[in-house]
Amino acid sequence: MKEPKIIEYDALVIGAGIAGGETALNLANTGYKVLLVEKDHSLGGKMILLSKVFPTLDCAACITTPKVSEIARHKNITVFTESEVTNISKESANNFVAQITKKPRYVHVDDCTACQLCEQACPVSVQDEYQYGLIGRKAAYIPFSIANPKAAVIDIENCTLCGACERVCPTQCIDFTMETEYYELHTKTVVLATGFTLFDPIEIPRYGYGRYKNVITSMQMEREIAPTRPYNTILRPGDGKVPDRIAYVLCAGSRDNTVGNPNCSQICCMYSIKQAQLLMGALPMADITIYYINIRSFGKGFEEFYQQAKSMGVEFVKGKIGEITEKDNGDLILRYEDINEGVVKEAEHDMAVLSVGVRSNPTIGKIFNNGALKFDPLNFVAQEDLMGSPSKTSIKGVFVAGTATGPMDIPDSILSAGSAASEAISYLTQHQEV
Amino acid sequence: MKVEARKTAKYLRDKQGVPEKAKEELKEYNRIKKAITGALKDEELTIAQLSEKLQMPKPEVTYYLLSLVKYGIVAIGEIDDMDEYYSYKLVK
Ligand SMILES: Cc1cc2nc3c(=O)[nH]c(=O)nc-3n(C[C@H](O)[C@H](O)[C@H](O)COP(=O)(O)OP(=O)(O)OC[C@H]3O[C@@H](n4cnc5c(N)ncnc54)[C@H](O)[C@@H]3O)c2cc1C
Ligand code: SF4
Repeated sequence: MKEPKIIEYDALVIGAGIAGGETALNLANTGYKVLLVEKDHSLGGKMILLSKVFPTLDCAACITTPKVSEIARHKNITVFTESEVTNISKESANNFVAQITKKPRYVHVDDCTACQLCEQACPVSVQDEYQYGLIGRKAAYIPFSIANPKAAVIDIENCTLCGACERVCPTQCIDFTMETEYYELHTKTVVLATGFTLFDPIEIPRYGYGRYKNVITSMQMEREIAPTRPYNTILRPGDGKVPDRIAYVLCAGSRDNTVGNPNCSQICCMYSIKQAQLLMGALPMADITIYYINIRSFGKGFEEFYQQAKSMGVEFVKGKIGEITEKDNGDLILRYEDINEGVVKEAEHDMAVLSVGVRSNPTIGKIFNNGALKFDPLNFVAQEDLMGSPSKTSIKGVFVAGTATGPMDIPDSILSAGSAASEAISYLTQHQEV
Repeated sequence: MKVEARKTAKYLRDKQGVPEKAKEELKEYNRIKKAITGALKDEELTIAQLSEKLQMPKPEVTYYLLSLVKYGIVAIGEIDDMDEYYSYKLVK
């Protein structure tokens, strides 16, 4: 391993989703120098991949794109993509030492014009993770059209090193000699904004996810209805049919002890209602049915949003799905307990969307020395003073923002980022060197 | 060591070789691409028709065919009378 380069910033923010991005902006606007470390190829986290947002139905990209470009252009923010913090030790109140690994992108971002000629030349095709496996992408590729930085990436694991991409690149920005870089960061405060992971419905075999291609996740449906969607319209992945009868299965992987998650994920009722409304717009003749246990429409404007979906014709069935089976033609039979009537029923649909829940992201668990960072029983970052200072963690000077603490929607993630930034600023002010 | 621009892939290939998995996947993709484009040479087909002609499961045809649409190799044709299934044709 090469000697790390020594770097210094006032604050380290880990994770560049909406929470980390907002925290970085708040700190930077106050004059602090921020290093924003993101493991992925783009800023924006999950929000940048959404279609529209509940309950306003504003376009997610229209909100996220200006925000991420403000972050990327801010003179007080340095962004490291493809990077991970491998270790943090607290040497004194205002000296945290972090080891950072920055993987090679094999593209000099500043020189790339995103012309996509490398994409066209690349002979490889693998599953596109930004379209959640619904379609392929090349090994030389732009992650998605509104990615920031908007520059090519080489997927080195799937690359056959044929060199076609670099031969066509007009700016010669593709460079396979790039290597992993190591940094040792000295910083005065740290904000964790590593977000959440989605429940993997493979864990519930009776839903048939993985086996039946017309059972998809809500994130896959989110991609199907987004402006940067994989297909020309809504199609079912099993045979390309334009679906007519779409079912939503709420609480998939939430409020379910059998998969180790007794908690409500807080966002799935509302995002499912949002998707149902968008689907009714895209496919006016389609029947959309939402199978639910309870509808949790607790936030501002949520109940009205729910009532609006009902008045548009979305059908709500208080029912618990027992099993999904597939017919020869790819249609699905949903067997469910009708909770109101107390009887088991069956219904046929073209497609089923599993409204998957929020899980913790365990990646930051091991980076702090001596296990000093505490977690709650579901492995979200523990909040030391939930009622008084919700962004404080078990380590003084380390704060937490957004869904790294538990499920929440975008407005709450932004509020939480504001709180983490102001706690961090207060810490920086208190521990100024004189 | 300074490597000439546009020859850096060769540098890495010489240094660490090409992963077997990447080679295998490329072979598989080329085989399926050839089969699909071959089947669409003379006629516009739906996914079900392609699946039958190529003896390939419909989900697999769907995934590869729609990837070829994305790459600009295949174009979307007409939708059937029931507004359910599109047909697909080669981009000439
Ligand atoms: C299908 C679906 C639809 C939704 N629709 C809506 C909606 O309409 N309205 C709404 O308000 N909310 C919606 N949400 C919720 C919304 O997505 C979240 O509230 C929001 O994305 C949380 O932002 P975050 O920054 O906390 O987390 P994330 O978006 O998860 O961002 C975390 C970031 O940290 C990075 N990261 C993770 N680990 C590391 C590491 N170790 N090192 C460096 N970087 C790391 C990740 O790559 C990511 O970029 C939806 C969610 C889903 C799943
Ligand atoms: S070198 Fe890799 S990325 Fe470039 S064209 Fe060949 S396979 Fe694609």
